[in-house]
This record gives sequence, structure tokens and C-alpha cells, in this order.
Amino acid sequence: MTEAAVSKSERESSPTEATASSEATEAQASREVKAPAASRLEPVLSRRGYAIFGALALFSMAIVPILNAAVPADSALHLPDYLVTLFGKFFCYAIVAIAMDLLWGYTGILSLGHGVFFALGGYAMGMYLLRAIGDAGVYRSNLPDFMVFLDWKELPWFWKPMDDFFVACIAVLVVPGMLAYLFGFFAFRSRIRGVYFSIITQALTFALMLLFFRNETGFGGNNGLTDFKHIYGYSLHERSTKLGLYVLSAAGMFVTFLICRFVTTSKAGRVLRAIRDAENRIMFSGYNPTSYKLFVFTLSAVLCGIAGALYVPQVGIINPSEMQPSNSIEMAIWVAVGGRGSLIGAPLGAFAVNGAKSWFTVALPELWLYVLGALFIGVTLFFPKGIWGVLSRSGR
Amino acid sequence: MTAVESARALRDVTPASPEVEAPPPEVKPEAPKPSKRRSIPSIAPRRRTVDKARYEALTAGRKALLCVDAVTVSFDGFKALDNLTLVLDEGELRCIIGPNGAGKTTLQDVITGKTKPDSGCVFMVGDHTDLTQLDEHEIAQRGICRKFQRPTVFQGHTVFENLELALPGSKGVFASLFARLSRAERERIERTLELIGLTEHAHTRAGLLSHGQKQWLEIGMLLAQEPRVLLVDEPVAGMTHKEMERTAELLNALAGERTVVVVEHDMEFVRSIARTVTVLHEGRVLAEGSMDAVQNDPKVIEVYLGES
Repeated sequence: MTEAAVSKSERESSPTEATASSEATEAQASREVKAPAASRLEPVLSRRGYAIFGALALFSMAIVPILNAAVPADSALHLPDYLVTLFGKFFCYAIVAIAMDLLWGYTGILSLGHGVFFALGGYAMGMYLLRAIGDAGVYRSNLPDFMVFLDWKELPWFWKPMDDFFVACIAVLVVPGMLAYLFGFFAFRSRIRGVYFSIITQALTFALMLLFFRNETGFGGNNGLTDFKHIYGYSLHERSTKLGLYVLSAAGMFVTFLICRFVTTSKAGRVLRAIRDAENRIMFSGYNPTSYKLFVFTLSAVLCGIAGALYVPQVGIINPSEMQPSNSIEMAIWVAVGGRGSLIGAPLGAFAVNGAKSWFTVALPELWLYVLGALFIGVTLFFPKGIWGVLSRSGR
Repeated sequence: MTAVESARALRDVTPASPEVEAPPPEVKPEAPKPSKRRSIPSIAPRRRTVDKARYEALTAGRKALLCVDAVTVSFDGFKALDNLTLVLDEGELRCIIGPNGAGKTTLQDVITGKTKPDSGCVFMVGDHTDLTQLDEHEIAQRGICRKFQRPTVFQGHTVFENLELALPGSKGVFASLFARLSRAERERIERTLELIGLTEHAHTRAGLLSHGQKQWLEIGMLLAQEPRVLLVDEPVAGMTHKEMERTAELLNALAGERTVVVVEHDMEFVRSIARTVTVLHEGRVLAEGSMDAVQNDPKVIEVYLGES
């Protein structure tokens, strides 16, 4: 369909104007084709896009597990277990990066508090995992270990429903979503923008970190929740469970990409970009920027919550340090390094930065923070469109 | 295509697209309640409605469309608007002039909801809602559009997308998530493109247009929005004489179908377009009438024309 071709070429050439003229002719060609009665202006993905998407999804969700489980351990192609878990973590980070890009790259809202939504999703899952231990903990009590240790006699009310896996899954979506909705409601209604918004989101994550550090809050204080054993009846130490969690994380990222891509290619996506570029004009065109911002902020918080919930069973711990302001800033760095406003750069950035982090923290641990800082400055100065900007330019 | 031709063309195309056309105000005077459109509720205060007696008094005996009733705005004790009352008729072209600090921009800000007045209200005929209680986007949805002095378009969007965003219709989040562009809407965009002479640039990013093209695109966006009232702020600032003439023609042609309010500094330009002129001074209406009557008004000569 010519429509699709035009929109595709439009999207892909947006960073540079080199193809503007060819676009124009293509566009003219498309106008001659009789337009359908009603159509989306832009397809979610072009046919080529779907092909690449499918290939990547197949590779990560089928080939990687085969390389791990079916290829014998002494083969050169064998993928060790620790790498599977590491990639699983990376996919969780990539979900966060895509959610951040939707908010920052498309809507122009830089949240430096997304770690809090990630951690809340993680805590919701962690609570379930902790309850799933049953009386197999250190103290052989029906209560979680940290409660026995603190001499609590009874399970607090907010812990009770978390025995149920499905309740926990709902909490993973609802808790970060509600916090984002309430926080965003007041922030956007007061028309807090730009750097001020970034600063109060930093304050948000810092405040929640302090809250969660306290034992009285009821989430295990600074030790957090750990020592998990089972998830939905499967042992977390089994290779098959780990592989399953990895596949779920990968699937989560691909679904997240499609959801965000659906949003950005819809008319709502064009409104979001318009809010980023000229908020006054969109307001005087009859759109309410506040509800659009609230929608996208809440959506990205929910996606981060899902990422956190997939992350916790793989790393086996969740504690308040996930809410450190620096963690949230690091999320913004993934997006900046990968390239904003494409939804493709962000996960690339998450993989690249975290890959580098894994290597450096083993090989040269004391250098990592300098490298991260240099990376951020270097990318901002020399590659403002990030890795994806470089790749998409050289690919043409 | 000259401006007049453009406007005529617009008149011609408007009835041809019944699907996208808003119902005429006479048939259905009440604008839809804003609460129904909002997908996400707000805790804004309850909507105030306009006093019936004032409504009757202001609108009696004329084809009024928009009324600004006893509006006062003060900034740190300085009264930008001082108990200002102004009635705009349907289809008229009104020029608002006045020296610096007379309150011209504040008046536009109040009408479009950017500034909330200390007292007084603004309402449209056929609707008793006090517009000063609404947000900017709600006022825009009721058909009051604003052209900024500097062209404001969505630079990162294509010209086509700019016009698509301007089209009337449901503007809530979930409506736009699943929005599809109907054939009628597509054709409407294409006609608007022809009208503003940007057909070849339909798929060019608006940021790459020249200054003049951007001005025309913004006008096209406003027209696509199907406004009932069009507020135009200093339309000829920085224009050549030729462009000024063309703009004058366009504004004259637009009035009649819609109410056009031009806030202008340039007296020569005002003389060339004005039918009714309102002179503001220190936040109040000093004089109102035809250009000749206003020019010969001794009060006006003293405070405004006398100075320049």
C-alpha cells in the first residue's frame, strides 16, 4: 500500500532532510491512489518493520533459549546460564528505556524519578515472592523473616492479599500507575514543566527511598525483600524457570515496543510531539495537554512497574537502593545514549550502557562511574541523536 | 491565488464537506458540555454561568456573538483591564487599537483563557457558560481561535499533519489514540492545502518552511479549525506593503462568515480594513464606532492619535 510506504519513509527520514524531495514525489503518487474511507495516517510498523521486529523477537525468544538449553555445554555456541539471566535483566532495563523514551523523546517530559515506578513494581512482585516462601524461611515461621526479626506478631494488612499471585500482578500495574497518576495530576495541573518537573521527580524518588528505608514502613527496611524460592510453584533456582523469566522479559520488551509504537503512530502520538514542540498552539487548537501528559506519564510508569516485576525474580532481591536518584538518572542516560524519539534507540542504549557496565564493573570497577559520565557527555556533545542516530544515518 | 479568491474558495469548499462540518450555531447553540469530552477528570471549580439579566441586556437588539462583560484584570495593582465591556457581533470585522499598555493583549488573553480576570465574565451567545472559568483548550473547542503574532506551527510535523491536528472533532486522549482519518477529512486537508498554496509541501516538515509560508500554514490551521471567532494579533507586523494588502483582503473576506477581531498598531492598515474600531485606553473602552467617527473623537485625539 502506497500510504504505508509514504508514512514509513517519512518516519525513517525524520532526522535528516536528504530524502525530502523523494518523499514529496512519493506523497504525490499516494494522493492519486484513492484514499480508503478511513485510515490511520501512519501504520504501526511498515512491512519491513514487522519483518525485522519478527526476526529479532524470534532470535531473542527462541534462538537464545535453544543456545542455552539444547546446545551442549562444551559446544562453542553454548550460552551459559549467567548470560541468560543477564540478558533477562537487560530486557527489563530496555522496557524502562522504551517507556522513558515515550515520555521524554516524544512528549518532552524528562522524568528523573522513573526508578520509583520500577522499584514499586519490583516490590509488589517481591512481596508475593516473599509470601511464596511460606514457612521455609530461616526462622521456620509463617511470617516473612524480616517480620520475625523485628518481632512483629501479625502480617500487616497490605501484605495479606499479596499471597495471591494474580493480586500481586494487578498490584504491579496499579500501584505505580496510581502513584504516577496522582503525582502527574497535581504536577501537570499546576503546569510544572521542563527542568522543574525533572527536579520534583528526583525529589519523589528520593522521598520514597527514605520511606522504604524505614523498618516501620513494612517492606523490610534497607535489606529489602530477598531469599525468594518459588514463583507460581516453580523453583527460582531451576534453569527452566530462569529461562522462562528470560523469555517473559524479552516478550515484555517486544510488547512494550508495540504498545508505545501504537501510541506514537496514532494521532495521540502526533499530539504528544506537538505538546513537546508548541504547547500553546496545541492548547489553542482545542487539545488539553494535561490529560495527554497524564496519560503518557501513567502509561510509562505502568510499563516500568512491569519491568520491575520481571526484574526482581531474576536478580532475587529488591531493596530501597533501586529508588536511589542516581538509578533514575541512569535510566535517562540509557535513552540519551541510545537516541531519543525513535523507540528503537532507547532499548539499544539500555543494552549498550548496561553491557558496558557489566564488563567494567568486573574488569575495572573503580573506573565505571567515570566511564558512564564520559559516555553521557560524549554522546550529548558529539552524537546528540545517540547510537540510533548514527546507525540510521550510516544505514542510508 | 489572491487572498480574496482564497477566501471565496473556502466559502465554496465549506459546504462540500458535510461530514466534518460543525453544526451551524443557529441550529444547535449550546456547545457540548466540556465534562463529556474530558477523558480524565479535573478538580476544577464548578462552572459558573452568566447572569441572565446581564446576558439579555448586552445581547438585546443586535446580532451579538461574543460578550466581554465588566472584566477587570490587575497585575500588582496596575489595572490592565478596568471594568471593560465589549460586545462583538456575528460576522463583523472589529479592529482594536490603543496605545501601548491599553490592555489589547490582556483582552485577548482573557478571551482565550490564558489570563483569568479578577472580576467580570466572557460568554458566547447561545451559551450561558462563563468562559473565564474554562481552560484554554475548552475555549478553543467552542470556536474561539487565536493567531499569534509570530507564526506558531508544529515544526517537527509535516504540513499535512499540522492541518490534521487542527481539524475539528473529538480531541480527547482515547479518541485520538484510535482516530482514523476519514476521506472527507483527508479531502478537507487537501483543499486547505490548495487554499494556502502549500500542496507541494504537504509532506515537508513545517520547520523547513519560510516565514511567510508558516504564517499561511497557521492561518490554514485556524481555518481548518472552523472557528466562530478569530483573534488576530498584529497580523502585519514585519510585513511588506504588498503582503499587508494581501492580508487586508484576506481578513475582509473572512469576516462575514466568522467574527474577526484584529488587534493592530499600524493605523494605516487599520484604516484600510476597519468597519468598526474600538479604541482602548488604560484598560477601558475610550471610543467605539467607524474609523472616521473615532478619528474625530476629541478624547481619542487627545490620548492616542494626538500622540503619534
